[in-house]
This record gives sequence, C-alpha cells and structure tokens, in this order.
Amino acid sequence: MSYAYLFKYIIIGDTGVGKSCLLLQFTDKRFQPVHDLTIGVEFGARMITIDNKPIKLQIWDTAGQESFRSITRSYYRGAAGALLVYDITRRETFNHLASWLEDARQHANANMTIMLIGNKCDLAHRRAVSTEEGEQFAKEHGLIFMEASAKTAQNVEEAFIKTAATIYKKIQDGVFDVSNESYGIKVGYGGIPGPSGGRDGGASQSGGCCS
Amino acid sequence: MHETELHDLSDDADYAASQLQGSVSMERSDSVKTTSSAEPEGAELVYLKDNVTIHPSQFASERISGRLKLIKQGLSLLLTWIPYKGHNTNARLSEKDRNLYTIKGISFSDVRSIRRHTPTLGWQYIIVVMSSGLAYPPLYFYSGGVKEFLATIKQHIFIVRSADDANVFLVNDFENPLQRTLSSLELPRAVVANGLSASTSVSASHPAEKQPIDDGSVSGDIASLSLYNGRPRPKVHDPARDLSIQVLEKFSLVTRFARETTSQLLRESLNNGYGANERRDNSLHHQDYSCKPSPDPEKAPEEVPVVPDPLEFDKLSLVWGKPRQSPLGSEEWATFLDSEGRVIDSKALKKRIFYGGVEHRLRREVWAFLLGYHAFDSTCAEREYRRSMKKLEYETIKHQWQSISAEQAKRFTKFRERKGLIDKDVVRTDRSLSFYEGDDNPNVNLLRDILLTYSFYNFDLGYCQGMSDLLSPILYVTEDESESFWCFVAVMERLGPNFNRDQNGMHSQLFALCKLVELLDRPLHNYFKQNDCLNYFFCFRWVLIQFKREFEYEKVMRLWEVFWTHHLSEHLHLYVCVAILKRYRNKIMGEQMDFDTLLKFINELSGYIDLDAILRDAEALCICAGENGAACIPPGTPPSLPVETSLLFPQQDDVL
Repeated sequence: MSYAYLFKYIIIGDTGVGKSCLLLQFTDKRFQPVHDLTIGVEFGARMITIDNKPIKLQIWDTAGQESFRSITRSYYRGAAGALLVYDITRRETFNHLASWLEDARQHANANMTIMLIGNKCDLAHRRAVSTEEGEQFAKEHGLIFMEASAKTAQNVEEAFIKTAATIYKKIQDGVFDVSNESYGIKVGYGGIPGPSGGRDGGASQSGGCCS
Repeated sequence: MHETELHDLSDDADYAASQLQGSVSMERSDSVKTTSSAEPEGAELVYLKDNVTIHPSQFASERISGRLKLIKQGLSLLLTWIPYKGHNTNARLSEKDRNLYTIKGISFSDVRSIRRHTPTLGWQYIIVVMSSGLAYPPLYFYSGGVKEFLATIKQHIFIVRSADDANVFLVNDFENPLQRTLSSLELPRAVVANGLSASTSVSASHPAEKQPIDDGSVSGDIASLSLYNGRPRPKVHDPARDLSIQVLEKFSLVTRFARETTSQLLRESLNNGYGANERRDNSLHHQDYSCKPSPDPEKAPEEVPVVPDPLEFDKLSLVWGKPRQSPLGSEEWATFLDSEGRVIDSKALKKRIFYGGVEHRLRREVWAFLLGYHAFDSTCAEREYRRSMKKLEYETIKHQWQSISAEQAKRFTKFRERKGLIDKDVVRTDRSLSFYEGDDNPNVNLLRDILLTYSFYNFDLGYCQGMSDLLSPILYVTEDESESFWCFVAVMERLGPNFNRDQNGMHSQLFALCKLVELLDRPLHNYFKQNDCLNYFFCFRWVLIQFKREFEYEKVMRLWEVFWTHHLSEHLHLYVCVAILKRYRNKIMGEQMDFDTLLKFINELSGYIDLDAILRDAEALCICAGENGAACIPPGTPPSLPVETSLLFPQQDDVL
C-alpha cells in the first residue's frame, strides 16, 4: 500500500506503563493484558489518513527498564514523533518524565513532536497523578498532552493521530526538509503532496471514532 | 527433526541422481574422452587420474580411492575428485563417509594455492587450499602424476610458484601485484566459475563399481523425484567426520578469510546475477530458508550487487561436524553413568549433547550437570544429599525477604521497587505456555519467588528485565523451586554481566561479535562500518537472553543445552550470531539496509531461523576461525566466568 509519508514514532516511558498495550490497541484495536515484556524493541505499523493523504506510522516500542537506556537511546535517531507514556496510577512513573525528556532532547532531532500520555485513565479510582499535573508538565515542556487508556481504547487513536497531524503540519509549514531522513519522515511512493491549501492540516481518522 | 530431514534431502537428491546415473551409464559408451555427455555442457576433460586417494585416518583400511579430474568449462577450470564405489573392502566406512570427502567441482578461481609434497619415501600428494582458508585433505597420487597435474593446470590458468616455498603454487595470490593485474584481465573466468559452482556439484553417492559419476547437475526435478521415492536412508554416526575436521584443521595452511579490497571490488563488479544467493538457493541444504519474512512491501528494495562471502556455506559444509543427531535418550544416558551414578566421561557426554541435545524427560537430570549444579563425578547418593542441603540454603535466603513485614517494607524502598518490578514482569513471561498460563498460576508465583530470592542472593546485581526469560525454561524443566534457583544461579554466574547496569557484559560480547564478523566476513563488516552499525545493537536481544525470543520454546531449550556443553567454545552463541548474519548477508547488503531497517529485519527473523542448520554453520565457523576466533573474544567475556569478581559492580536499582 502506498503512502505519502512515513513517520517514525518511538514510544518511551517507564517499564509497565503500558507502552506495548498502547501500540497493540492502536495497530490491532485490541487489549491484551497478557503479553511478553519487551526486550530491546518491538515494531508496529499502521496506515492513517491526514488531510486525505495516506500516512504510514512505523512505531518503535521500546523496553522501559533503566538498564536498557543506552540501547534505547540508539533508537531515537530519525524519529519524527515520540509518545512519552506514564501511568496515572504510579506516581514514580510521572516523576521520571523529566529524565526521559532529557534523553529525548539529547538523542532525537530537535523538531521531534512529543506527545505526553497519561495511560490507564480507566483506573480513575487508583489515580496518583491528576490530569492537571499532566497538563502542567506538558505545558512547561512544550508537549502535547492526553490521558488515555489502552484497555478501553479511550484517546489511543487520537493520541497517535494528533501527533501525526502535528508532524504533518510542521511539514506543511516547511519546518522539515523531508528529503533528509534524519527527521524521521520518508516521502512515499504515493506522491509528494505539495503545500496544501488547508493550513490546519485537518486530521481525519481512518479508523472508527473513539470517545 | 524437521531440519535434519531437510538436510538429508540433499543426500536423497544425490542418491536419486546417482541412481539415475547408474541406469544411464549402461547405455553410455565408456569413452571418457567423449566429454559432451559426461561433463556439463561445453565442458572439456583435460586431465584424469585414477587411484588418487584420501587417507581419512592412519588406518590403511579406511583409505578412499577415487578419480581426479580437471575439467575446463569456458574459461574456468574445475577440479573434481570422486571416490569409487565399493573399492575398499572395509566395512568401517559407509558410502556417506566417502561421500563426505567427495570434491564436487571446485573452481580454480576459488583456490588460493596448491601445495605439493614429494616425499622420498611413500606417495606424492597435494593439498588444495581455498581462498577462504579451507584446505582439502591431502590427495595421494598412488599412480604418480603430480607433475603432470600441475603442468596441466599451468596450461589453463595462471599459477606461480611461491617465493617462500618452492612446493607451493599460488593460484589466486592477490597480494602479488602481477597476479592481481592478471586476474583483472581474466574477468570472464571468475564469472563463469561463480555461475557454475552450483550446477557442477557432482554427485557420487552410489556410483557403479569403479565407474565414478562425472556429470551431475542435480536438477530440481530429480530432487523432487527423490521425495516421492521416499527411500529412507539410515542415519549413520560417522566417526570419520571428526577425523575430517582434524585433517582440515591440520592442513588449513592459510586462514586468511578476507581478500584484498581489490579483489572484492573486482568481484563486486562481476557479481551481477551470480550472487551467492543464487548459488545458495540451488543448494538443497538451505531450502528451509525459503520462508523468510517478506520484505517491507512499500520499500521496493533495489537489489544492489554485494561483495561475495569469502567463506561461503557450500564450503562451510565441508567442515560441518557430525550431522545433528537425535537427542540423548534414557538408554544411552545410562551408558554414561557408572554403577553409583557418576558420569564416567563428561567430555564425551558434552560432545554427545552438543550434537543432539537431550530428550526432554532427561533434561532435569542432565541440565544440573551441564550447569554445574551437580559435579559430573558425584554419585547419586551425593547428589541426593546435596539437593537436600541446597534446599535448606535456598529456604534460608528466601526467608530473608519473606520475613520483611509490610511496615518494614514501607521504609525499604529498594525492596519495594524490586518486588514491584518482578511482580510486573513474571506475569509477562511466557504466559502463552500452558505451564505459566491462567490467573493465579502457581508457577508464575514460583518465578516471582525465585527471582526475588535471587535478588537477595546477589543483592548487588538485583533484578533486571530478561532474567525472567532465562529462568522460565529452567523452572519448566526442573519443576522444583530450589533446584531451579540453583540452576539459575549457575546460569547467572556466567550471564550476570549481561544485566550489569553499565551493560559491560553486553558491550564486551557485542564487541567480540564485531571482531568475529570482521574475521569471518570482512565485506559484511565493512558494510556495517559504512552504515554506522558497528555497535551491533541489532543483536542485542539475541545475546542478552541467549536467543530466547528467537525460537520456539523447545528449540530454545535445545539451543541452551548445546551452549552449556561448552564443546568447541564457551562462546558458541557469538558464532551463532555470525552464522545467522551470514545467512542473510546478501539480503542485508543487497537491500542496503540502514540501522533502522536492519534492526527491524533482525527482529522479524524471530521464529524463522532454522536451529539445526544454524548450529552446524556456527560449529563450522567456530572451527574455521580457530585460534583467530578465540583471540577476538577477550578473557572474561560472558558466558566465560568473570576473570575477577570485581567485574560485577554494585549497582543502583533499575526502577525507571
């Protein structure tokens, strides 16, 4: 299947925050509570449509444990988008965000779009991090923010697509030199779209709508 | 085993071809000089010598006589040596043994040198050394004719006498500027030789008496025919195979695997359409690789010509050790034990397991030896005693964390964090396996208890992701908490550095791997270098958890027990890495994979790797690399035991 662009995403965050589950929910539309922990990196991919352009997301799902940070750092290279995930029921995963962000800033290209995701928002009764705190952190660091649930699929689609729309808009705005693959964007065989009239880069989802 | 059958298909193909040959030979005139029917199309027989013999051992009864030929095909020259059938009267050597030594048409473009030996007493003989460094066993000329042999070669290709040794004739000496120049003028030769090597594989499984088979081209039709014939061939243990390795090792005069860049570039420019891929695809040994993951559909890779493998698998197969055997079973296992249960010959046992693994029901018993939990020379009674003592010791350590109260845990962050990590990971370890599946599975709880106990046994190392992958098969096999723990301790003795916070164990292995690839496949090394892939992070998962995620569970257990024998090398796993990379080298380089693509490709190989074939390749690579290979691996590189205990640095917990 041809695409106009291919975006490389990387999913980062502490171990057990639900990175692999978010990916699976996005690519396969299912929640699998029983799955093997990620060693190194796993890959997922899905086509989406933005501004009527087919865009392929190639998603790198990384291992979260600190020991593997040096390996994970080598995956940032050429990522256009990052999903930085924490678990709203575990405070420490929120506390570690700064350190993840530092890694991302250091090893990814400066124009990488970062989406902060507070996962497991279905577990409101065990919430340890408020939505406001998440919003505040995102605002301070210039990130897009959403709370999501890989289990219920709430905001999962939106998170991936909104990130893509932001990247797409950056392309339209001429932020990237798309011929330079270090930005994590590949121009596909689907034809290079010229600067479109639609300045908002309106995102239209290819999949079904979620709440 | 499935793979073994696949491997044997090639034998069947040879067999079928030879049967066909047998029936045809009745109609054919015996005029050997009429080459058009006997040799591949356009080939011309330029030299023939009977009674050329190989001495697989010191026993005269095991000598194998055959017919040596030089065949000219286009601009290239080929050498074949086909043993006679039923010539030697001894029963010790099977047809298969003889077949092993058969030289099925080597091209002189792949030959580095020929060494002539003219002892004053005894027969004259020659040794052919390939560019890859492989040497064929000596060929004894019982009826004389070495001089004539060399003279004939000289008529057809350019050879020079070595300045260092008057008995060495250099065929492709790329260090010699003159020859390099000349070689570059003989371009077509290389092309023809490359294109031929598959189709000229000459079969000699069952040639008629004193009538060597001399055309071959085992076509696909014949190969598939043999499938329907379904003629089962007994699998024989062949001691000669070991001897062949010794012989090859002994006479591997040159172990220079990488050619000069000049010759690489030369070949690169020639290799269009004649890549090693094609050759390999023709080889039935490798049919099992047809189901590799499909390439990224939207990538539409443009295949580019790649530098050929200096150590190709058709040559590697020459040093393959014994064919993979069936796993060690109870009856055979009993023969390894004395009346009190001691293992009489641990070396022989390890070797046996290296070649076939262990039947599953024996694993519990045998793994304890392989891992060093029990000493090979211990008696049954001693082991029973040790088991009970070790169980007590385990319970003591386990009690240390079990006695931590909830109140105490509140003030013991490190413990809480560790327990939290382990709790999270054991429920994400092999849960699709019935042994670990379902809610409140007691075996999952055992995984947790053992890992937590281990983190107290080795508090400095603690817990790190990947450990549960290493423990899971051990618990599955032993089905005993204390025994699993101690076996896991033994594994971690060696692999603990994989999990050091600074990753020093991993880095040292990946570094050694880099050196091994440089030694065993220089063009691939250069490719990785150019593409910024020398950190070998794409092999990270392979090494960290010993291919646990690359094979199905049963195969992982098989692989590990082979590793644990430490037969040939403690670092066989690194040779396995090289073997897999070499299998896909042409794809990797041909599709110009960058780091990201390569990482994804390697990840997706999971489940598609043929274990038995890879083990044989790894074994052959290990033998070929010899001391040079060992020199690539610094002392103390895991899974070697640490040189000094300080290698295990205390580390902070991994809680991020």
